[in-house]
Amino acid sequence: MLAADFIAFTLGALRARRGRSLLTLLGIAIGIAAVVLLTAIGEGIHRFVLAEFTQFGSNLISIAPGKTSTFGLSGALVSNVRPLALADAQALARLSGITAVVPVVQGNAAVEATLAGGARTRRTMILGTGSQVPEVWQMRPAIGRFLPADEVGARPFAVLGSTLRHELFGATSPLGARIRIGGEPYRVIGVMEPKGEMLGFNLDDTVFIPVERALAMFNRNSLMEIDLLYAAGQAGGAVAERVRALLKLRHGSEDFTITTQDQVLDVLGSVLDVLTAAVGALGAISLVVGGIGILTIMTIAVQERRREIGLLRALGAPRGQILTLFLGEAVLLSSVGGLAGLAAGALGAMLIGAAVPALPTHIAWQFVLLAEATAALIGLGAGVLPALAAARLDPVEALRDE
Amino acid sequence: MRLRDVLGFAAQALSGHRTRTWLTLLAVGLGSAAVVLLSALGEGARVYVQDQFAQLGTHLLIVLPGRNETTGGPPPLLGATARDLTLDDALAMGRARGVVRLAPLAVGSAPVAAGGLEREVNILGTTADFLAVRHLSMGQGDFLPAGDPSRGRGVAVLGKTLAKELFGNRQAVGEWVRIGQRRFRVIGILASSGQSLGDTLDDLAIIPVASAQALFNSPGLFRVVVETRDRETLRSAEAAVKDIVRARHEGEDDVTVITQDAMLATFDKILRALTLAVAGIAAISLAVAGVLIMNVMLVSVAQRTSEVGLLKALGAAQGQVAALFLAEALLLSAAGTLAGLALAVTVVAGFNAIYSSFQLVIPTWAPLAAAGVSLGAGVVFGLTPALRAARLDPVHALSGR
Repeated sequence: MLAADFIAFTLGALRARRGRSLLTLLGIAIGIAAVVLLTAIGEGIHRFVLAEFTQFGSNLISIAPGKTSTFGLSGALVSNVRPLALADAQALARLSGITAVVPVVQGNAAVEATLAGGARTRRTMILGTGSQVPEVWQMRPAIGRFLPADEVGARPFAVLGSTLRHELFGATSPLGARIRIGGEPYRVIGVMEPKGEMLGFNLDDTVFIPVERALAMFNRNSLMEIDLLYAAGQAGGAVAERVRALLKLRHGSEDFTITTQDQVLDVLGSVLDVLTAAVGALGAISLVVGGIGILTIMTIAVQERRREIGLLRALGAPRGQILTLFLGEAVLLSSVGGLAGLAAGALGAMLIGAAVPALPTHIAWQFVLLAEATAALIGLGAGVLPALAAARLDPVEALRDE
Repeated sequence: MRLRDVLGFAAQALSGHRTRTWLTLLAVGLGSAAVVLLSALGEGARVYVQDQFAQLGTHLLIVLPGRNETTGGPPPLLGATARDLTLDDALAMGRARGVVRLAPLAVGSAPVAAGGLEREVNILGTTADFLAVRHLSMGQGDFLPAGDPSRGRGVAVLGKTLAKELFGNRQAVGEWVRIGQRRFRVIGILASSGQSLGDTLDDLAIIPVASAQALFNSPGLFRVVVETRDRETLRSAEAAVKDIVRARHEGEDDVTVITQDAMLATFDKILRALTLAVAGIAAISLAVAGVLIMNVMLVSVAQRTSEVGLLKALGAAQGQVAALFLAEALLLSAAGTLAGLALAVTVVAGFNAIYSSFQLVIPTWAPLAAAGVSLGAGVVFGLTPALRAARLDPVHALSGR
């Protein structure tokens, strides 16, 4: 049989029972659309989370006190007997390949501003940092400047986050204003650009002060974190090894945890991939049910077309050809249904993306292809039994029917 | 036509075409089993979290130093504060009305060494009441002794993993360990607590709170866990605790108080939403099964045209014919649902028999929802074929083909 004949025959068979074919298509299409839509939502969330993490730049290494191998929080962040000292951060800054270092102490205190209308107080997050926050965290001052790099003694300067500025000063310019943080006097020298929220941490409702002053204010001797930015051409793993060697030399043992951003992104990426795949698998339940639909309809078709099959066999069509004909019909049904589902799912994803901007969607093409391939495979699998039944028909028996 | 006749007629029609009937039942069964199983998974997770919280005690207040005024923002879970929450603050809270007992917590990390082995673990400084507040039990020996909490004694209670790492199978109780630069005598080993919402209590050392403050050279507490008399006193105790701290901190409101209920409610809400979403996704497959029912019924109507013609010629009303085919569709979806529910119940029972730590729980609404959706699909998708059969012209139908 010529390929053209084969296609014409299959299409003719499907067209002859239009309603039935359409419904079967619909079943598969719903399944595929569900898979496409759900994985699109999963992929969208994946990208959203990764974007949240990389907004601080990508060549980052962070060092925390205390050795932890699990994901659990180490008590060392709160207090420890082997502090991660400011001197450690200064030593790391001299390491080759490191372009910027930010020592971090985080705390909570009241920030008080005296204005013409009276005093305003707001309790919020205090970040004690070095001068290189703009480079390392990729956030720039909107007005004024960031904390200066003082050689000796940290002057009492403060840089406000945009929300905090708004709460304390409203529309008036805070530059040069005197504020009290935890009871100590500071002078405002800048306001940061709004950065938005990252995983629950609002970096806009913050005040940045020199890390030496924060250590004194909170009566601590250990930093909570040191963030390093390394040069773009460097391999993260090699830099992390050099950092590890230097700190071990200074501390005598490995009493700190180094996390490179690549590691974090890898772990997050794989977790989110698993989630997307799981959601896609849930949608695939519908695909299986759709496959049963094809099986049912093909079984019925073979029963109804016994005479036709008998005639073909009597005219000399070999069994293989009959098998191919019915298999082709099943695969055509499922893959056309799959394509319709793809279109519907993609459209739905776009509509959701447009209607609910908070729920990011992004069509995951690898899953789309997988879904389409699955649809075709389901058609093949569902078509095998009925097609075999058709091929095995005895022409004499089949022709004698009815 | 009586109901029994309608059902009998439909059942006969179905058993006439075994293969397609079985396949349709399979489709509906898979769909409803998926709905019930997935919601059982979600509900199981919810019950699990609830149990975990109940283990911690359901009427607890957690007091943390520091307060953020960001609305809707997270409480300051980590981080230092300009004014510490001190041990004296904690002891003063104990005098609030409705407070039964409380445990101040000072947390840090330090190496614990014994006999040449060293392990860096979390150190928890607390008082004797911690055992009761957290509902812990001792494996061996005693917990920290009661007494003046501001006196740091050189005694330590080890978590199970830590004791095993440092002492192996030897007797640990009575031995000395070095924590940081100080020596402590091991007086007890905790019974294994397993994982409790992520933080394991197996790999830590518990020492008196004053000793921890000296070890870490910091007068501040990490948090204070307050147990109230019952759930009703939770609110008033929260206010009382805040008043006490305000009075002691020169009128400043600089602590955050979290109730256990608030946390539980958040988890509950998230998990309920997840369960519903997952069940909803599974219900899509029921819609696909509904499409299949419609398809099979249409085929059935087409094949039995002459039969319908005969019925109508014998005087059957349109409604009667429609009822016959609708009954067939409903019978298909009902039997499929029953099979699916039976499958789900079996799987859940099997799972629960094998895994004892995590139990699947079928929520009451799940079987009802599955049955509702699949019967609804049966009616909706069965209606078109039934109406098509009812509207057949008897003369044309009988003349056939």
